[in-house]
Amino acid sequence: MKKYAMVIDSSVCIDCKACMASCKVQNNVPHGYWRNWIKHTIPDFSQGPLTRTHFQPGGCMQCDNPTCVQACPSGATYKDPQNGIVHVNEALCIGCGNCIKACPYGARFRHPDKRVPDKCDFCFSSGRLERGLLPACVDTCPTKARVFGDLNDPDSDASRLLRDKPTVRVLARGGIDTKPNMYYVAATAPTDWVDEVEFPGAFTALASLVNPVVKVAVGLSALGVAVMWAKQIFSPDKEESEHESSAPGKD
Amino acid sequence: MKPANDSPTREHGMKTEGKTLSRRGFLQASAAVAATAAGVPALRGYVSTAHAAGAAQQAPITSHYTVCDMCFNRCGMIARVQNGRVVKLDPNPKFLKSRGMICARGNAAVEHLYDPNRLKTPLLRKGARGEGKWQQLTWEQALDHAAEQFTRIAEKYTRCGVMFSPGSDMQSQFLIRFAEVFGSYNVTSHETLCLLSKNRAYLDTFGETPFADVLYSKYIIIAGSNPLEAIITPDTIDLMEARKNGCKIVVLDPRYTKTAALADEWFAIRPGTDMAFFLALTNVITEEQLYDTAYAEKMLFGLQEYAAHVRQYTPEWAAGECGIPAEDIRRIAREIAAAAPAAMIYPGRRSSDYEDSTQIRRSMAIANALLSNWDRPGGILAAREVGVRAPYFDVPWYDDNPADRIDHGMAPGLIHHEGSFKLMRDAIIKGEPYPIRGWFTFKTNFMQTAANRNKTLEMLKHLDFVVNADIVMSDTAWYSDLVLPSPSFLERNDPVSALQGSSACACAVWRDAVVPAMHECRDMLWICTELSKRLGFPESFNFTLDEYRKSQLESIPEAFEAIKADGVYYNPSKVYGIYFDSPLKTQAKKIELFNQRYAHEGLDPMPVYKAPRRKEGAFRLVVGRTAFFTHSNTNNALLIEFMDKNTLWMHPRSAARQSLKDGEMVEVESTVGKVTLALRLFEGMEEETVYMATGFGALSPRLPLVYNRGASIAEVLEDHADFISGNMAMHETLVTVTRRVG
Repeated sequence: MKKYAMVIDSSVCIDCKACMASCKVQNNVPHGYWRNWIKHTIPDFSQGPLTRTHFQPGGCMQCDNPTCVQACPSGATYKDPQNGIVHVNEALCIGCGNCIKACPYGARFRHPDKRVPDKCDFCFSSGRLERGLLPACVDTCPTKARVFGDLNDPDSDASRLLRDKPTVRVLARGGIDTKPNMYYVAATAPTDWVDEVEFPGAFTALASLVNPVVKVAVGLSALGVAVMWAKQIFSPDKEESEHESSAPGKD
Repeated sequence: MKPANDSPTREHGMKTEGKTLSRRGFLQASAAVAATAAGVPALRGYVSTAHAAGAAQQAPITSHYTVCDMCFNRCGMIARVQNGRVVKLDPNPKFLKSRGMICARGNAAVEHLYDPNRLKTPLLRKGARGEGKWQQLTWEQALDHAAEQFTRIAEKYTRCGVMFSPGSDMQSQFLIRFAEVFGSYNVTSHETLCLLSKNRAYLDTFGETPFADVLYSKYIIIAGSNPLEAIITPDTIDLMEARKNGCKIVVLDPRYTKTAALADEWFAIRPGTDMAFFLALTNVITEEQLYDTAYAEKMLFGLQEYAAHVRQYTPEWAAGECGIPAEDIRRIAREIAAAAPAAMIYPGRRSSDYEDSTQIRRSMAIANALLSNWDRPGGILAAREVGVRAPYFDVPWYDDNPADRIDHGMAPGLIHHEGSFKLMRDAIIKGEPYPIRGWFTFKTNFMQTAANRNKTLEMLKHLDFVVNADIVMSDTAWYSDLVLPSPSFLERNDPVSALQGSSACACAVWRDAVVPAMHECRDMLWICTELSKRLGFPESFNFTLDEYRKSQLESIPEAFEAIKADGVYYNPSKVYGIYFDSPLKTQAKKIELFNQRYAHEGLDPMPVYKAPRRKEGAFRLVVGRTAFFTHSNTNNALLIEFMDKNTLWMHPRSAARQSLKDGEMVEVESTVGKVTLALRLFEGMEEETVYMATGFGALSPRLPLVYNRGASIAEVLEDHADFISGNMAMHETLVTVTRRVG
């Protein structure tokens, strides 16, 4: 049993975009979308010579309390008990989009061709982990701001960093602790970009009660699913247009 | 070329994957895939394995060492190939120069390789230049035509009537060899738009161009350089590592760059006044005797004269020029002197800024001398022994050739083998001292990178024949007469290249093709070989690439196995104290604070400050780049997502004076051109300065992602030159900025 996590020293991130480019190539992420990101603080120029910017690399936090999994009516989104990675089984996905809204980090997007959610899986499905390679973003990072490893292995780089350095996590607004597996060394900023968790009303109660395995079995026959499906077909892709407009580096 | 699966590096590459792993202490990966099923609910187990099986059933991935070519750094890479396609590029963890990393550009080399707009066949211009009418030629026809044109020009105007721009590629050495055997001295390249002023300054101070030992430095002042965006390996990476180890970083830049954003202190210095700061810095160091006197006695030439010279340049005076408070200059001088010798003024790279850039960089070099950091840990380092030799070739004598290169004598400190594109272009337009009528360029795009594009267009009118070899239809190719398709770096075998990565390594690399060359692309060695047969000097290119490599590695034969096994050979040569027992290569055999040759030639032997021009209502235009584009190599489907056009950066207070608004279209006008682009208001700008990134506003429609998008620096920059080195001076343009009418 593994518990994969990322420990990030955001203070050494230089915002070079290598992690984003590497991820995009490795995972065939479509034009206009990203599985990972680099956020930044807004510099306060009243500080004069001490004006600084903090860059913050991120991506899916593979939460231990994954609100996306709870929001998924079909069991397509699940947390892998063998390694802690939150996966999407595309064959089971009904494309309702609930998981996208339920993620306070904006880590998911609807794949424009496949019409299913897409997100970081620590490069699991690309086969990198199986081949003994680090996730693409970690491997390529110039300053090694991103450190990846198994927290169940006390000798992993991630475990060691976590043990040796104080860390913080970026939490959702609104009181739900997602228990993210992305740790930031010492301190990090910005933190104001994180959203509240948004569960679809009809499903909130069900999702928190029903075992995900059961959900798979009963999910497809559930009336709610049909409703969500219909909603997905007829409603515009709000999150898509938002995603485009937040594309990085406007100049 | 061999298909990918037969690549000799395949086995080695596969091994490397295992080693990547252990280096990071990330073992056991997921052999776990098979084990996943155990102890999980049946359904979940099914889902999980189904997921993994997808990857397992795919065709095998092979791994091949190569060296990146998305900029000049040459970082070590491992190419992953599946079904004959490059699917991913990963860093070579054994590559010390780049500290086992690949930047965004390196990752996006896949898009570069599979760019649908690649040149595919030789093309001959049919209509007017720039009209875009082309006729496909066979290589036979193309080479016959080129040989015929070169012969005609040589007969009528001498062999120096052909100018060569061989670029900064690993195969550029073949075109240089070709030019010399053909008989032209007129070779100039990208460097004359880039680092020559800095090189000149350090050559004239230390006798060498140094490497910065950033990793072990405790205090670094960065001026006229942006190493966190204009990536230099290992310096960029080492800066952040040094900072972790307590190194203080002070940045002087009129623009809040990412280097400024991550520095300990950033001063929005007035553009063109860096010398004032460094003269005052050395004023404090000499007045307060903060230097190592024993070292000075042994190593410095002209200290007394220099101390007397800078007495006038007090911090109070400098504050009035550069805008940095006197107490800060004094404090920084004391701090850096206390950290010396593990402290430095970062030498930088592109120094094509001002008409006195050589003297500006001299003032920085002299500050380094006073920190006694030469050839020492954390300071600036001499070149190390790599052991790669340049194969010998005979250069024939042609009686009718002129005495020297066309720009000879036009700048007192011209670096002979680089020349000055700016001065050559002027000379070609004038036709003096002699005519040049032909131009052979390889992966060099002066049309987009050299200041004053209209002048480059004017120069073309004086040229009968322009041939360009490149991967895509650059702006320069678009205006050429004959265009030759080159393979990308992933599709060719390249000769050995010697590299130094500061104190990290002195190494040798080569490239073997990762995939076969696509389309009808042919590498420069093949082109030179074929042309040499047609031009009557086949004996100059009568070797195979393997023979050439053997000759390069004659003194280090062990490099062959190392490069095959690890993708790189390291020479464990001396790092520090290379000059411990030998004199410097300067006239005084010491570090020249006072340069005797300058005095002899009527130049200022010590840097004399000249205030930059200012004009009421005008801004100084500075240019630069981001971490994800190299120069004009912007037409990349992945990288363009980070920035799809450039904007003009201006301080909000400056904009308010002309009631200009964020995002609106503005016209930027100089004495040579006018461009239109969107305005970006940004508080991180010095108020007299505006900034534009390079690489946009392309003229070539075959660069569809940047064609007519944003604006070209080449269109609006005036073509000034560094007086001493002849390097292009790209920050000497004053522009007006007005709202676009209509």
